[in-house]
Amino acid sequence: MSTRNTTSYAEFAQPVVRIKGLKKAFGDNVVLRDVNLEVDRGEVVCILGPSGSGKSTILRCINLLETPTSGEVWFEDTQVNAKGTDINKMREHIGMVFQQFNLFPHLTARGNVELALRQVQKKSKDEAKDIACEMLERVGLADRSEYYPSQLSGGQQQRVAIARALALAPHVMLFDEATSALDPELVRDVLDVMRNLAEGGMTMIVVTHEMSFAREAADRVIFMDEGVIVEEGTPTQIFDNPQHERTKDFLGHLA
Amino acid sequence: METILHVFFNLEVMKQALPIVAAAFPVSLIFGFGGFLLAIPGGLTLAFMKMARYRLLRWPATVYVDVVRGTPLALQILILYFGLPFLPIYNVIAAPLSGIDVLGINATVYLRGLLILSLNSSAYLCEIFRAGIQSIPRGQMEAARSLGLSLPRSMAFVILPQTVRRILPTMMSEFILLFKDTALLASVAVMEMTLASKIIAGRVFNQSSYVVAACFYLLLTIPLGRLVSYMENRLAESEGDAA
Repeated sequence: MSTRNTTSYAEFAQPVVRIKGLKKAFGDNVVLRDVNLEVDRGEVVCILGPSGSGKSTILRCINLLETPTSGEVWFEDTQVNAKGTDINKMREHIGMVFQQFNLFPHLTARGNVELALRQVQKKSKDEAKDIACEMLERVGLADRSEYYPSQLSGGQQQRVAIARALALAPHVMLFDEATSALDPELVRDVLDVMRNLAEGGMTMIVVTHEMSFAREAADRVIFMDEGVIVEEGTPTQIFDNPQHERTKDFLGHLA
Repeated sequence: METILHVFFNLEVMKQALPIVAAAFPVSLIFGFGGFLLAIPGGLTLAFMKMARYRLLRWPATVYVDVVRGTPLALQILILYFGLPFLPIYNVIAAPLSGIDVLGINATVYLRGLLILSLNSSAYLCEIFRAGIQSIPRGQMEAARSLGLSLPRSMAFVILPQTVRRILPTMMSEFILLFKDTALLASVAVMEMTLASKIIAGRVFNQSSYVVAACFYLLLTIPLGRLVSYMENRLAESEGDAA
């Protein structure tokens, strides 16, 4: 504790994200049945599972892009899905990276990063610019700051999207299949950025199909199927010694 | 051939008509541009109402758009031009204007004409705006919201700037339509270009003054039409790039 004297014990011990009994249904289609999950500060959690298993929906419930049908989602000491929660304030601290990048095509790379700094955090023009340039440099795109998304490769676009989320100094980063839409040769650059973040102590929840990333970077791996967490453990436990049939099946199919 | 020249392109008549039609050109411009500018906020409001979550906002907008688009503008002009003065609210706005003349026409005439044209055009713009906004991929709104931008800010800084780029050609086509439709105000004796040329035509029993008016309309509609196709091509190219 002594090295972190600015952080109270309560804050340090408290999970960043806490999910209790989360259910999500779209009409008759139940996507999440009963999900319980806690993610601690600095932890990197990778969520694996076949498509349609509800992985992305968990992420989207954390920042309320989807409203949970029932259950509780907590971010630090606030219940995200409670009435009266200032969701915009929450989202400022929850960075999200999408499969399709979702960069704003009418803004340059720098403009994409600056927008929320200016409009949400009310930073001055100069301050926003400084932060944006710093973030773009961090993802290796300092020389692309004045490019529009359509002038960038998929991998570069995704790195701008990461910079855009990082600029707000989020307490947790959600990655929703961040490399799935990329050509294989572009995946590496994005994964490198994510690996750096993980090593830098960022709390991350990563939905991915990149097994090598999960194995190297994750503190904990979660395997999901049909809306429930089937199995979780360290990467070694899950990859080398899976307990559950469905996990073995899934990992076997990948090999 | 000679008859055609005499009836439609009589130089004497055209010379006589030119200054009178030219004097009415700014009147048509005021109705066209003014009506269109007023229709933009109206169209946006209707578009947001039609996309609202609450039925109480949605259905009045739907009914309004259906009624306006489903009836002739010529009829709307007859109903409202003579009907508006019976409304107390209208008179509150019109009273201070009654003593003012612009280009030889009373300001209340402009008020009524502009109101009618913008009420009409806003219904068409509503559908243009709505289609444009809904053509922006969902992920754009999600990305904006996930950064902590409120719904209005996401609209203002992310969705609408992209929408405007996309719908600008369609909006300009709508403006061209509206500009031509200002001619319908002739039916209620508003001295715009069509009525101005009609007065001469009636006086000399010759159609050439109408041709002069037609030229004035074309002066605006042809360059704008070209601009629309140019912008559509450019848009098609840039969207192709992004994909």
